[in-house]
Amino acid sequence: MTTEHTATGKPYVHYHAAHCESGVTSAFFRDKGVDISEPMVFGIGSGIFFGYLPFLKAAGMRVSTFRSQPGAIFRKVARRLDGDFVVKTYRNPQKGMDELRRVLKTGQIVGLKTNLYWLPYFSERFRFNFSGHNLIVLRETKEGFRISDPTLEHPVDCPAADLERARFARGPMESHGYMYYLKSVNPHPDLRQACIKGMIDSCNLMLRIPLPIFGIRGIRFQARKIIDSPDKLGFNEACRLLADVIRWLEDTGTGGAGFRYMYAAFLQEAAELLRSAELAGLSEEMTAIGHDWRKFSLAATRIIKQRKQFEQTFAEAGGLMHGCADREEKFFKNLRKVAGKMKV
Amino acid sequence: MEPDQIFHSIADVDGLKRAQYTPDDRGKYVLDTHPSWPETVVNGMMVSDIRARIEEAREAVLAGKKSPLYYHMARRQMTPAILARAAGIASFRVKRHLRPEIFSRLKTSVLDRYANALAVTREELKTLPNS
Repeated sequence: MTTEHTATGKPYVHYHAAHCESGVTSAFFRDKGVDISEPMVFGIGSGIFFGYLPFLKAAGMRVSTFRSQPGAIFRKVARRLDGDFVVKTYRNPQKGMDELRRVLKTGQIVGLKTNLYWLPYFSERFRFNFSGHNLIVLRETKEGFRISDPTLEHPVDCPAADLERARFARGPMESHGYMYYLKSVNPHPDLRQACIKGMIDSCNLMLRIPLPIFGIRGIRFQARKIIDSPDKLGFNEACRLLADVIRWLEDTGTGGAGFRYMYAAFLQEAAELLRSAELAGLSEEMTAIGHDWRKFSLAATRIIKQRKQFEQTFAEAGGLMHGCADREEKFFKNLRKVAGKMKV
Repeated sequence: MEPDQIFHSIADVDGLKRAQYTPDDRGKYVLDTHPSWPETVVNGMMVSDIRARIEEAREAVLAGKKSPLYYHMARRQMTPAILARAAGIASFRVKRHLRPEIFSRLKTSVLDRYANALAVTREELKTLPNS
């Protein structure tokens, strides 16, 4: 936690977060006086998900995502908590930067979607060509902009030219200077109903999409692919596939084991808020599922690191993933029942 | 170097910390800034893959198989398709310009577009940096 200030001198508190999108959304609401944590935003925005999209590549890796599509958390939270956001994109970089400066002068904090590669305050291990990183600009300084990046512990400085490049980088998922700020917000949103809506939506996403690549079905599909991979692709390529999965699970700002721990943290808060012992039990179950995913990533990392054991371990890793799928299926069915009972 | 050693060699210098959610002794979730072992391994692999790709590009340029544009494109983690959009030049032309004999005949106006897209000067674009 670090206290900063905006252009008009209004104090702003920077909180450390695990994921960029939920962290930014939570920061917007906190700035307007609605105290809502990152896991809470993640749960209300129905962030938890699974999708295996082998035909898509982001920053050179095959996509198996553990959360809903970029922008969905932000959109859903805005809707469920009555936040009135202004969202803009630009063709002309100059216009985009001018508008950013104008809004910042009014003392407003502004969210931007940027390309990770062009952000100079990151080091080599963060800088991949991926246009989907959200951050908050606090104010303009002499050298550039003061930035509160929720994935970092403290606010940082960024030169204006680099920020412009990051906003208008070309390539897959172009952000076109995507910029947003919170115009007004309901000071006392109905958090309880928002939580319940978020939970039910998540259950539907995980259980009811009739396509084999999403939700529980997607996990099983991916697990089968992993088990078959050493035969079909050869050992090295199979290791790459596995490494891609672990990256999405642990490395892309997930808060550990593919957002499962973050969701457990949300259920913990929701259980307190709704005074529900059932939800507290489900939170513990989610923690256990998180541990299972962690076991999978440890097993998979061992396969990649020590290249002695062969097929057997791929089958084991796939088996662990099947175990996660079974457990999550049961979990989301229970959550659907519990949330359905609480719905008004 | 092992992937996790690469990760730690960078992380020790930059001092940037990412957060993870972990339950504390009483089961309440708190933020923790220690990276997990799988994270360090896969992140180190990604970094070493990119480094290897850039090194490969450098060698191809030194061997005269590719133009310096190829190296600078790899350094910015771009593909011909991405570079084409960034520079506003059709991707089949970008691919042609990766050939040294064609690159050496390019007009300054085209070179400037590449230089601008890759955030280097026109002189830098024509040469390889030392390290």
